[in-house]
Amino acid sequence: MPGLLRRVKTTLSIGAHRRIAGLLDGEYASVFHGRSLEFDDLRPYVPGDELKDIDWKATARLGDLMTRRFVARRQHTVVLVVDDGRAMAARAAGGESKREVAVLAAGVLGYLAHRHGDLVGLLARDRYHPASGGEAHLERLLQTAHDAIRLDAPAGDLTAPLARAARLLGRGRILVVVSDDCPLGEAELALVRRLAVRHELLWVTIADADLMAAELVPAGVRDVESSLALPAFVRDGPALRAEFAAATAAAAKRTSDALERLGVASARVGSSEAVIPALLRLLEEHRRARR
Amino acid sequence: MIVLQGWLAPVWLVAAAGAIALAIVLVRRRRDRRADADVPVAHSERLTALPGYRRSLRRYTVLLSALAAVVLVGFVAASVLTLRLAVQRVDRTDPATRDIVLCLDVSGSMVDYDSEVVGVFSDLAKRFEGERLSLVLFNASAVTYFPLTSDLSYIEAQFARLQGEFASPEQSYFDGTLFGDGSSLVGDGLASCVTRFPDAAAATDADAGRSRSVILVTDNLVAGKQVFSLPEAGDLARDRGVRVYGINPGDTESEDYIPDIADEFRSVVTASGGAYYALDDPDAIPDIVRRIEREQARVTAGPMRVVIADAPALAAWAALLALVAASVLGWAVRR
Repeated sequence: MPGLLRRVKTTLSIGAHRRIAGLLDGEYASVFHGRSLEFDDLRPYVPGDELKDIDWKATARLGDLMTRRFVARRQHTVVLVVDDGRAMAARAAGGESKREVAVLAAGVLGYLAHRHGDLVGLLARDRYHPASGGEAHLERLLQTAHDAIRLDAPAGDLTAPLARAARLLGRGRILVVVSDDCPLGEAELALVRRLAVRHELLWVTIADADLMAAELVPAGVRDVESSLALPAFVRDGPALRAEFAAATAAAAKRTSDALERLGVASARVGSSEAVIPALLRLLEEHRRARR
Repeated sequence: MIVLQGWLAPVWLVAAAGAIALAIVLVRRRRDRRADADVPVAHSERLTALPGYRRSLRRYTVLLSALAAVVLVGFVAASVLTLRLAVQRVDRTDPATRDIVLCLDVSGSMVDYDSEVVGVFSDLAKRFEGERLSLVLFNASAVTYFPLTSDLSYIEAQFARLQGEFASPEQSYFDGTLFGDGSSLVGDGLASCVTRFPDAAAATDADAGRSRSVILVTDNLVAGKQVFSLPEAGDLARDRGVRVYGINPGDTESEDYIPDIADEFRSVVTASGGAYYALDDPDAIPDIVRRIEREQARVTAGPMRVVIADAPALAAWAALLALVAASVLGWAVRR
């Protein structure tokens, strides 16, 4: 199924998303590649290049938008840390499977990295898929993550991949953590603190389904961990709906606050459509946090 | 309390057990089928840990249990209805088909006793349902004070008037009773009373089957020439199927009452199927009259009859209330 990367590309190029996707491209470049003053050469403009980098004189001369390149660019290694427990196979806030959202988010960042010549690796539940270049490699990584997330997979545990990352990875990687929507415990936060010191950390939380959503009320709802059904009659009523919304918002805020205290920018995504805007916001926040 | 269709009880039990078993099987099957269609969600404790959810779940559980209990009650009540609970009792056929003629000797010495008898009957008459009462006064001749009637208010009015006349010095109750040859012509008096009942030949259906009795109050001290002797009048009574109850205030040891006269009275009365009471105190009259009335009601009542009547009220109410409660609870659960 070679479709996972194609879906990423489609998402990046769909009409309404085009400009914002271009911004995302540029944002990635500016966050992770920066600009040095050492001019290297000129190349044709690609969407996402910083406007500042456009060489207007050369553009006027050649009749085509030209961008200046600087030598300071260097190759990064992006490691996708994807929670692939069975909770990630549950329904996301937007109605699709959390797996689709997680793979898309990981794929978009992986593809941006690939476009900028960076290497991409994957830390899954059981092993580390070392970083490498090429679309085929990225597709394979996404496929691996996609296949690992199943309803009959083991329960998710974020500490294992984070601990493995802390153990295996050297310094200066870009870690993209695609996390389940559960509260972060002491163990996780300690690992995040260690990792944040040594690496650039981007945190994407895949938001769980709204259990009180009206469209879920008549349907049967079953917890993926306990496989217990939640009675439909109880999942109704404005008071409980408000209470649930408040509790969900509070939990999300606790997570993002805890990460922010550790200097880690985080985004919470509930659907495929929200992936690109959320990542754009995430990169902006990350750049601000870094300065 | 008896059950008319008890054989239905095991049928309903089996039906209920079958329905429950079927429901369990269907629910299981549907649950299995739905388990795959269920939406998988993660971290349901986000919801289940909320106090509001626990409250909601508790309310749901309580309502559901109450609904189950009410449905059970409704089912039991409805089943009991089909079993036809009934009440069985032994009844006498219509006891109120009696005709009574009060036959009062109004010679001077008898007025106190007559007044007591009338007083008691004006009490008794209030309880009468369909009985007919007539009042005949006699001395030398007999006067019908009022004929057989079941008109209670009329009877009461007549009794009240008679009581007034007993008490008044003008003694107008004597009117018409002195046309005979002598006084206290008991035989003629009884014969007159016996003929106050509708003639058997002319009797309508309404008269047929009614018991007939005469309550004769007299001291049986005859002075003068009678057309009927007392035994002849007694024969007449027997011929016509009339019971005669005798109250004889004169028959006491304190007076020199002639035993022959008492015996004659007693034998006439008992021969008619009635009873004879001798006394000297007017205060004993109410007691005796009530005894006569009871005795007379007992012997004249129709045959015993077993009456079986359905008694669905309790079960029907329970079923209705259960239905209403189930509707309300069902609405509350769904809400």
